Amino acid sequence: MTRMLRPAFVRAPSAVAALAYAAAAFAAASPAVAASIDQRSAADPAGRIEVANTAGSVTVTGWPRNEVEVTGELGEGSERLEFTTQGKLTRIRVVLPKRSYGVDETRLVVKVPSGSGLSVNTISADIAVEGVRGGQRLQSVSGNVRTATAAQDVEIKSVSGDVEVTGSGARSLVTLTTVSGDATLANVAGEVNANTVSGNLAITMTDVARSRVRSTSGDLGLRGRLAADARLDLESISGDIRLDIAGPVGAEFEVSTFNGDIRNCFGPKPVRTDEYAPGSELRFQEGSGSAQVRIKTLNGDISVCNK
Amino acid sequence: MTIRPDDDRALEAALARLPRSVDPPRDLWPGIAARVEDRPGRSGLRWPWAAAAAVVLVVASSAITASLVRRAGTPVAAGPVAEAPVPGTASTAFGPGHTLDPAYDAARRNLVDELSRRIDRMPPSARQRLEANLGELRRASSEINGLLAERPGDPLLEELLLATYQDELAVLANASQITAAADLRAVADETEKRIPL
Repeated sequence: MTRMLRPAFVRAPSAVAALAYAAAAFAAASPAVAASIDQRSAADPAGRIEVANTAGSVTVTGWPRNEVEVTGELGEGSERLEFTTQGKLTRIRVVLPKRSYGVDETRLVVKVPSGSGLSVNTISADIAVEGVRGGQRLQSVSGNVRTATAAQDVEIKSVSGDVEVTGSGARSLVTLTTVSGDATLANVAGEVNANTVSGNLAITMTDVARSRVRSTSGDLGLRGRLAADARLDLESISGDIRLDIAGPVGAEFEVSTFNGDIRNCFGPKPVRTDEYAPGSELRFQEGSGSAQVRIKTLNGDISVCNK
Repeated sequence: MTIRPDDDRALEAALARLPRSVDPPRDLWPGIAARVEDRPGRSGLRWPWAAAAAVVLVVASSAITASLVRRAGTPVAAGPVAEAPVPGTASTAFGPGHTLDPAYDAARRNLVDELSRRIDRMPPSARQRLEANLGELRRASSEINGLLAERPGDPLLEELLLATYQDELAVLANASQITAAADLRAVADETEKRIPL
């Protein structure tokens, strides 16, 4: 942090004083050394871990010990690191002073019991999670979020940060909300509820159960195998939507757009919904028809294929 | 494990005053599907509550965006700021012929106040993106409203418009909640604000 401390002799007219002031100012502007963090505490193997950091980074890794370890650097200007364990809850927070201008970034490296549930909140700090088997709730205003998930539920919220989720292939619920951040979900299964305004979403699911994916202007791409009773809704105002279905398909399709084009690899052609309007829709059944797929756009193009 | 939303009492209080009859779009599927099937003979929809709620959301987001524009140069970690003034009039609709129910005015004011205070704590770049995306949502709702004026009762347009208004509320609520959750100047002593996992 840069803190310009105004020396008492600042008004002295002499060249010596000016030089002395310049030296003092240079010293004050030099990067301060961040305080090292190295703390640990016993923790419940299936407890909850809450981490909060405003700027910098948060890296959380699951490990086989019943212990939480926090290392890293506390940014200059931060008030303190709060590290408490009470029952099943462990809390790690970088506390800032009430009037905090230009506080340096804090880097947190946290190791937690792998069965822990995890909650991370940041403003601009990036979040990276690996090896945590419990549920995760990760939120950042502008930091990027990257996590590897297990079978538990995951909720991620971001305003402008990008999101990257790598699933285990086991069914779970992934809830994702971004405003402008792009998101990539790979190897997830079960239920995905994803919503973005202008971010682009690319989702690869090994098994689609019930999922709803929406955007305003961002493009949506989903590739995956439909479960027999799948319910899949994809919706966008002006973004394009691409659905690539893997494996055998048994589903009813309802595809409609007000002003976009529909491309269907399964054969049936879209029809105009109105003689005097540009809209078109496509309804057809493939295989058993037990799953349901609905895709809707206002202006975006739609592509449905079996790949 | 079940993840529940934050216990954000002030925001929830505002949200609680919104109508219970505005259901998630998933619950609208049966009715919409029926109308699609019955397209040639359909009559105009009557969604007074949904329309009123939609208007509230648009007005709220307009006020937030207005405050964003006025405060573009505010430092990231500035101290508490004055609440953004709330516009006194609203002019938006859910298709032709629907107007805002006055009962939503109080809820709108609370929502705007809450969000206005928190948005100032966001990084400027994120704030600008939020502003741009709220504008995107408003353009989308405006475009759909224009189309609905030409094609009243169109089920696809109505569904997309309702979803857009819901998205707008979600964006505003999420931006506020995320920012509050990571603001460690204010929450340092609030030991009860926990995220249940």
